[in-house]
Amino acid sequence: MNIANLSISEISNLYKNKELKPSEVYKEVFTNASLSESIIHAHLKLFQDEATEASKLSDERYAKGNPLSDIDGIPIAIKDNINLKNHETTCSSKMLSNYVSPYDATVITKLRNNGVVFTGKTNLDEFAMGSSTENSAFGPTKNPWNPEHVPGGSSGGSAAVVSVGSAIASLGSDTGGSIRQPASFCGVVGFKPTYGTVSRYGLVAFASSLDQIGPITNSVEDAKILYNSIKGHDPLDATSIKESTVEIPTDKNAKIGVIKELMEEGISDESKKEVEKTIKLLEENGNKVVEVSLPLTKMALSIYYLIAPAECSANLSRFDGVRYGIREAGATSYEMMENTRAEGFGEEVKKRILLGTYALSAGYYDAYYGQALKARSAITKDFENIFKEVDYLISPTTPTPAFKFGEKTENPLEMYMSDLCTIPANLAGIPAISIPTGLSKEDMPLSIQLMSPARTDSSLLEFSETIEKLLGFNQRTLLLEDMK
Amino acid sequence: MNMVPTIGIETHVELNTNSKMFCKCAVVETENPNESLCPTCLGLPGALPVPNLKAIESITMLALSANCAITKNGMFHRKNYFYPDLPKNYQISQFDLPVGVDGSIEIILNETKEIVEIERVHMEEDTGKSIHKGSGRIDSATSTLLDFNRSGVPLVEIVTKPVIKSSKEAVSYIEELRQLVIDLKISEGKLEKGNLRFDANISVAQEGDNELGVKVEIKNMNSLRSLEKAIDYEIKRQTKLIESNEVIIQETRHWDEDKEVTSSMRSKEGSADYRYFSDPDLPNMILSDEFIDNIKKTIPILPSEKRDKLSETGLSISESNYLSKSEEWIYDLFLKTQKITNDTKSTFNLITGELQGQLRKAGTEELPEWFTSERLSEIIKMINENKISFTSGKEILTNLIKNEIIPTKYAEDNNLIQDNDSDEIAKIVQNVIESNKEVVERIKDGEEKLVGFLVGQIIKSSKGNINPSIAKDLLLKEL
Amino acid sequence: MKKDIDIKSVAKLAAIKLTDADEKKFEKDLNIILEHVDALSKMNIEDEEINIHPLGEKLNLREDVSSEFLTHDEAMSNSPETEDGHFVVPPSLD
Ligand SMILES: [Mg+2]
Ligand SMILES: [Zn+2]
Repeated sequence: MNIANLSISEISNLYKNKELKPSEVYKEVFTNASLSESIIHAHLKLFQDEATEASKLSDERYAKGNPLSDIDGIPIAIKDNINLKNHETTCSSKMLSNYVSPYDATVITKLRNNGVVFTGKTNLDEFAMGSSTENSAFGPTKNPWNPEHVPGGSSGGSAAVVSVGSAIASLGSDTGGSIRQPASFCGVVGFKPTYGTVSRYGLVAFASSLDQIGPITNSVEDAKILYNSIKGHDPLDATSIKESTVEIPTDKNAKIGVIKELMEEGISDESKKEVEKTIKLLEENGNKVVEVSLPLTKMALSIYYLIAPAECSANLSRFDGVRYGIREAGATSYEMMENTRAEGFGEEVKKRILLGTYALSAGYYDAYYGQALKARSAITKDFENIFKEVDYLISPTTPTPAFKFGEKTENPLEMYMSDLCTIPANLAGIPAISIPTGLSKEDMPLSIQLMSPARTDSSLLEFSETIEKLLGFNQRTLLLEDMK
Repeated sequence: MNMVPTIGIETHVELNTNSKMFCKCAVVETENPNESLCPTCLGLPGALPVPNLKAIESITMLALSANCAITKNGMFHRKNYFYPDLPKNYQISQFDLPVGVDGSIEIILNETKEIVEIERVHMEEDTGKSIHKGSGRIDSATSTLLDFNRSGVPLVEIVTKPVIKSSKEAVSYIEELRQLVIDLKISEGKLEKGNLRFDANISVAQEGDNELGVKVEIKNMNSLRSLEKAIDYEIKRQTKLIESNEVIIQETRHWDEDKEVTSSMRSKEGSADYRYFSDPDLPNMILSDEFIDNIKKTIPILPSEKRDKLSETGLSISESNYLSKSEEWIYDLFLKTQKITNDTKSTFNLITGELQGQLRKAGTEELPEWFTSERLSEIIKMINENKISFTSGKEILTNLIKNEIIPTKYAEDNNLIQDNDSDEIAKIVQNVIESNKEVVERIKDGEEKLVGFLVGQIIKSSKGNINPSIAKDLLLKEL
Repeated sequence: MKKDIDIKSVAKLAAIKLTDADEKKFEKDLNIILEHVDALSKMNIEDEEINIHPLGEKLNLREDVSSEFLTHDEAMSNSPETEDGHFVVPPSLD
């Protein structure tokens, strides 16, 4: 039995029954890491010594019968754009290659208080900008199912570590699909919560109005457990919302809409088939499934590629070599900044900053950024209207299974297209989850995405557990089996 | 041809909150650099802003006091420009939806009330402080040192419409604004500490022209004196250029305090296009009617209202203006005392002359609690009724500041009550004339200044109890 | 919307020094993306209201209470260059 394939609740029960000790699980995940890292390069930093020490404290807590929570002693990896005090936060950028955070993100504080010991920081596309983790300044992460394929991105490292078992669960961040798309590519569960339910304080901002932290896990139940321990209003984040859960049906009365526009051209047959397969299972379960149309989803990519770069152009202005990070010489402070930013940022980051700067500049604001904000309002309204008809929306998570390295680096639009299905949920601020459904002809994972109205996260997770059961798919990557 | 200047003023007022605008760091006054910082005001990766309620209350109070319309559905914008003392390289400010718009502030200029129209009142955060090392001049600096203690301190920016016509009016406007923020208790209002910082936009056009001239912005005026001088200098400079048919460049100019000239500043690189956009970290800011009404209730009496009250007692506009800009207790003391004495002029003179003078000399700013308007009124009444001399009045005042005395009793105990009986005085006058015949002759020959000598003699022989004016009248009659 | 990107001035605003080759590449890529997003200009959405928060939430304000966060040393700990407790940069022109 590979312990790392167990779910959080299974491990937690073994701890409570004294059949297993946290330090044993930590040993296991670090063994898995030492085997897999040379192939998939999912971690930027492993906290082996520190975590091994700390896991012994967790051992003691269980021995005394008073663990801090149900996730006490669960090995969790953190995407390297989330601040962890006294550790580096590099965002996979040369810019922050020497930056050590003097503070904890709110999600980190919450997990610490629950007894979580962190296993390491995971690789990502630089500043979370990308869909393949190829944009990391420290080298790409490989897909554990087949290292010739990308793991997805930007949370590629976080998805890969869960998939390969070098962590039980991980945190990622999702701006346009950055949790769901890599989770889909790596055959694990990825959940993007309702905007504002999880604090962004301490998450290095990419696009503030779209960013949301969420869990990547082996099962929907694990996602629920992890989400419940990181959610909640945070006075340090002005966009954080007060708890106000809305409930919708989670049994056979739940009505599901299939988004017509996400089952058309641009979506591979393999991906469509997974949706059709799920629909059939749902109908057999007694659920009503109807086709719905959300014509504005066709605009989602355009809206996203104005709003996200505009926000990022300002969010990334603070990286200037003045107070932290790398610094390049210059005769004046402005020249120093210009040179530092030329040296510190990778190409994709520069491209998006330049695009956003242009879209906000005098004479273009109304046509680009202003228009995009209005279009975003319109698409949000469309979702609200559709959710008067159905409880959930179903679509593929990604247009295709994981593609190969270098396949989509020529034309920027081709790479952007891989977020086609995931971006709408970020624009509307609604929760969305990716659930593994099966394998492609090439034995790469496939999945479906489920979306629901804002604030219905609990219902979405509960209904997703039902779907997960109906699908009955729980195949794991054989990477470590082959090696062992 | 006649040239007309038009001036607009932008003022940044530093609020007196405990914590900064968007984080919990204390607003500190310390020489030690980089002491009061957190991830937010230092612009660390991942930090977020959360606005300070007190600051929003303060700006709302100011906007209401300046007769502005309040923007109920407002928001914060990011103003983007790269500068090392701006940690995020954008300033959180307000753009098209500021807290207050279209207001007015009443000022006093040459005994008349004038209205300065206000365009906007908005909230923003301060930057850090740059210290340019090297020869001291920016041009030849070798490096810049940065202290971020000031970074994130709440600032209210108040922008006037281009309606100010002279340097004197500009000064009067700043004085009024300063008094306003002090009375509202939202800022310390100390110019020397930079609590109020102002820039002026100046243009000059020919009289009768419908359009304003080319606008020039003047920065770095640190006092009212430099504000006045810089404006006058700039008006002259622009007038001369127009008269000699030269072009005025739209630019920012720096006031050189030492040379007393304005000089062209090199523009901040990349500052031309601020790319304002709504800050996605800060949702729409709704100021409810209830919130606004509650703020209205806490607004104290405003300087303009003080002036109106003071004018009702018969003070001139400039006297009212003077008192409205004095400390609160002086204003109160005047009104209470005037009510008792019913003598506006004597009350005003004694308070603003003798009393303030003595306090200044003594270096105290507050009066002891026993120093009541009733006791002060006793002194004024005694002087007015000729019971005591003005000199004695001063003596009693000095004592009242130091000790808990009752002025009437003090006057009696210390033989300060004047003898106002004309017959008694006439006798003394007669005696003095008798014993100073030679002097009397000289007065009659035209040496009028010797009258004072004789008055002195009269008072001396009466042991100081005679009202000098009565003595003088009688003496002149006799002569 | 016509595409007339002055890539030099955009780079200046963004404070990113570009080589000639960079300029060419980014200009090309930006044009590809802008061509794509041009679809938005045909949308009839004049009257849409804009909410900053995706869920239409309103801003909550914080009580004016101060507390300490970073020590001086923590604040300076990542600084590339310091002097007398200050961060140091090359001369900044006003
Ligand atoms: Mg300003
Ligand atoms: Zn702070």
